[in-house]
Amino acid sequence: MSKQYTLVIDLDRCIGCLGGCRVACKLEHGTALGDSRSKMYTMESGRYPELEMYFLPVMCQQCENPPCVNLCPTGACHKDTEDGVIKINTDRCVGCGTCKQSCPYGAMNFNKEMHVMDKCDICSELRSKGEKPACVKNCAGSAIYYGDINDPESEVSKLIREAGENVYSLPDEGNKPSGRFILRGAKWKEEEPWKK
Amino acid sequence: MPSNQTSKKETRYVKTACRACIANCGVIAHVRDGRVVKLEGNPEDPMSKGRLCAKGLAGIQALYNPNRIKYPMKRIGPRGSGQWERISWDEALDIIARKLMETREKYGAETVFCSTGGGGNPEIWSIARFCNIFGTPNWFEPGCAQCYLPRVLAYTMMYGGTDPSIADSNALELYFPEDTPIKTLVLWGTAPSYSCPSSGGGAVVDLRAKGVKTVVVDPRFTPDAAKATVWLPIRPGTDVALMLAWIRYIIENKLYDREFVLKWTNLPFLVDTETKMLLRDGEDFVVWDTNSNFPRTMPYPWDENLAPAMFGTFTIDGREYKTGFQLLWERAEPFTLQKAAETCWLDAEKIEKAIRLFAENTPSGLAIGVATDQTANSVQAAMAAATLDILLGNVERPGSLLQRFRTSGVLKVPNYPVPVAEKMLPPEQLKKRLGGIEHKGLHIWYAGHPPSILDAILTGKPCQPRVWIDRSGNKLGVVAESQKWAKAIEKLDFIVHMHVCQTSFSAYADILLPAAEWLETDMIVETCNTLVARQAVVHLWETMDETLFWSKLAKRCAELGHEGCRKSFDPEFMGEDLAYWDSMDEFFNHFTKEVGLTWEEFKAKAPFEYLPKEEWRSYYVYLEPDENGRPKGFNTPSKKLEVYLESMITLSRTGKPFSLIELPPASKDYEPLPYFIEPFESPNSELAKEYPLVYTGGRVPFYHHSTGRNIPALREIYPVPELTIHTEDAQKYGVSNGDWVWIESPRGKTRAKARVTEGILPGVVHMERFWTPETLNKDTHGWKEMNVNILTSASAPYNDVVGTYTLRGFQVKVYKAEGPPEGIWQKPEEFKSWLPLSEKEVR
Repeated sequence: MSKQYTLVIDLDRCIGCLGGCRVACKLEHGTALGDSRSKMYTMESGRYPELEMYFLPVMCQQCENPPCVNLCPTGACHKDTEDGVIKINTDRCVGCGTCKQSCPYGAMNFNKEMHVMDKCDICSELRSKGEKPACVKNCAGSAIYYGDINDPESEVSKLIREAGENVYSLPDEGNKPSGRFILRGAKWKEEEPWKK
Repeated sequence: MPSNQTSKKETRYVKTACRACIANCGVIAHVRDGRVVKLEGNPEDPMSKGRLCAKGLAGIQALYNPNRIKYPMKRIGPRGSGQWERISWDEALDIIARKLMETREKYGAETVFCSTGGGGNPEIWSIARFCNIFGTPNWFEPGCAQCYLPRVLAYTMMYGGTDPSIADSNALELYFPEDTPIKTLVLWGTAPSYSCPSSGGGAVVDLRAKGVKTVVVDPRFTPDAAKATVWLPIRPGTDVALMLAWIRYIIENKLYDREFVLKWTNLPFLVDTETKMLLRDGEDFVVWDTNSNFPRTMPYPWDENLAPAMFGTFTIDGREYKTGFQLLWERAEPFTLQKAAETCWLDAEKIEKAIRLFAENTPSGLAIGVATDQTANSVQAAMAAATLDILLGNVERPGSLLQRFRTSGVLKVPNYPVPVAEKMLPPEQLKKRLGGIEHKGLHIWYAGHPPSILDAILTGKPCQPRVWIDRSGNKLGVVAESQKWAKAIEKLDFIVHMHVCQTSFSAYADILLPAAEWLETDMIVETCNTLVARQAVVHLWETMDETLFWSKLAKRCAELGHEGCRKSFDPEFMGEDLAYWDSMDEFFNHFTKEVGLTWEEFKAKAPFEYLPKEEWRSYYVYLEPDENGRPKGFNTPSKKLEVYLESMITLSRTGKPFSLIELPPASKDYEPLPYFIEPFESPNSELAKEYPLVYTGGRVPFYHHSTGRNIPALREIYPVPELTIHTEDAQKYGVSNGDWVWIESPRGKTRAKARVTEGILPGVVHMERFWTPETLNKDTHGWKEMNVNILTSASAPYNDVVGTYTLRGFQVKVYKAEGPPEGIWQKPEEFKSWLPLSEKEVR
């Protein structure tokens, strides 16, 4: 089976501090002010005092059938055959934003300065040097894991097996997201705040 | 040349430690061609374990920030005009030293006062030391009695080991999730996920993941509250009532560790009910022996032939005595679960569930945070919290938070190496410490009382302070009743501000001094069993480490004839207090020689373990034999845990054990047992008709105190302060989510943006401190727009022991505002002008 690198986030460990997933990510990639490769949503429910809350960091879900790739008019947005990660070839990208419109999770970002699209590629450059992605490395809750979800022996596959029925993915509109979320401490909410 | 090009591409990795807050997380700084290009967590750090939070990661944007104070500067326009002229360090030091000497000569050294603050503060004792040597007893910190000192005081006096404050890098047992047996952790008024995400925040995440149950006492539905087994959303300012109810329940249901309490606390000792002092027989204390039904002397540590009464009232030679335990019970007795539920706006069943977890799912520990330090009931909350852990025997056992783990010996006080040189302050000057007679607990940190200093400036009584040197962030953003301080500033002759960047306070200064950012500073950091070197990764402009600045100022004063300052450079005279140093190398060499290294060698080697982990985690220190083969006990006068804190009485009357000289008594004795006082501006008072909501404060994870408001990567996340308000209250007062609102107390009003949520105790609102660097050069100087400290109170009543004023737990009203304050920035793009300066601009 081909490789599918992806992020698995243990939401019981996420404390919503925006350190690794926002600030480390932003500084690693020089993302412009106001833009980010990842978003953070606070998922609140219930009435005082019977409340639940968890944080949901959302970045590219490295879909198996990615509309961003399928619809890209120039072929700039492509799925890397090596690791299954969706990447932008900025030489070919014309910044038309088709991918952004097609992404069900609002995970595409437009780089205003370079006039090209920008997205989470699980820190390809760092990984190629044998390092961990910036968010994984710095996350204050050590909540973010990455690896090949198609390899049953990988850390992420083991985590998913251990979590059993407490594993969720973002709503699938036929795009088959590969990203996974583990949540035991609260009830998973089907809301899609990125569509608001 | 090719060789040059190669070197330009090479990256140097410097292992250092963060100081964006006080947690000191390990950092690897990537340096290319002399410039810091990237920061990341260092996995070798045993507390942060490679994690790094938003504040730390944004360190590059702080370091190369265009708002940095780059050179010493002298004001040339009127105060507040923002007109400055660059001067040399020599000239700046000369101007300041002459002003200090002239003021001392004319009005007395005590009319010079200094202040410091937590925001990026590298060394709090630098300032205490300089003041002692110069001869002024008056320095203050807006934290101090409002932050941490009440807890340090209580745990020092009752136990003699470290307090369990997570945000102050204590409670070290929590950092070993792999084998700590702790089963229940109480987070009382502390939110590690907000205050120290990558160290304490991550540690609590690890513990929860392995099944540790948590109880969170906090009116806000914080990330830690959301993940807690029991959340107790308490009414701000009523913590002691709840703690007394926990104590009562534990005593009534016999959930305490009887054996431990009998043998290792002073609760069985007899107390004279009239004098409130313990009954003594020589150095020993007296118990009521139930075998003989007679008072007997209990020799240290224990006499197996005696069976002391835990409770009871006894008459000896016509005088009435009670056991400490009896007095504690009487103090707690009125606080039933129902009474606490009513007082604290809680559910009695949930309180009971929380107590049962804490007392029965053991070992357990209670980590107390800053919340209780911010009301006039501060010291009593810390005493009650310590009492709870002690009653359960949660002391120095595996799993306990109260521990005396080994230290390296390199530093006397871990992470705060500068010796305070207490003996240098002349006794007649110590007596002039403002607020120091009434609030003697402040002497544990050799500090003055901020509102007493403020009153002295405004009234000229008992002296007229004239010169203010501040080494911190934005005093006008963090002291209670900022508007009063702004008035006081007008009365001062001379003001110096030393900081990394200009803040509101700078606008009122006469001299500005450039302080080093943490990436430019050196410090020895002890973190668990590991020694870390914070090291100057780069040095920009003419910035200076404050640890060096005060030395240079003392030197200039010495040259102008100050005798104490002259002596402070004499190694023989200074002894253990160390002679002042001419460089950071010289300073640190004193300490690193303890491990046989120079500072240079230390920096190259660090981080390194100074002891194996198992040896470092020393449990049951009180049972280790002393020189006579008896257990050494605790660091208290009786060597027992002093739950009945008789030494509070001595402290109020004499200043002992913290003052080197005997001071006149306070107007009233301090209480040996915790007591509850209802907040003086309370929802139960008449005032609540006009101001119906209770205010509370507390961190967000993006800022530490007043820092970070000019850091683009942080400000874009949290551009303006939120006023968190419950849905029902919002509806009642006509406020919708995202509305700009006024928040008003009897002292003033300010603005914030409403965040309407179910996640806060109804009747309570929260807002964090804020100031706006973008309006620094406007009339407001950035502190009037959205500053919650316009609402807080610097007025009495204060905490009796340490003089805490009221930062939380007072009444406010909230109503819709017409819009945001003029000139403030909210859009991410607006912060673009604060992005890092280029290398060219830095050189």
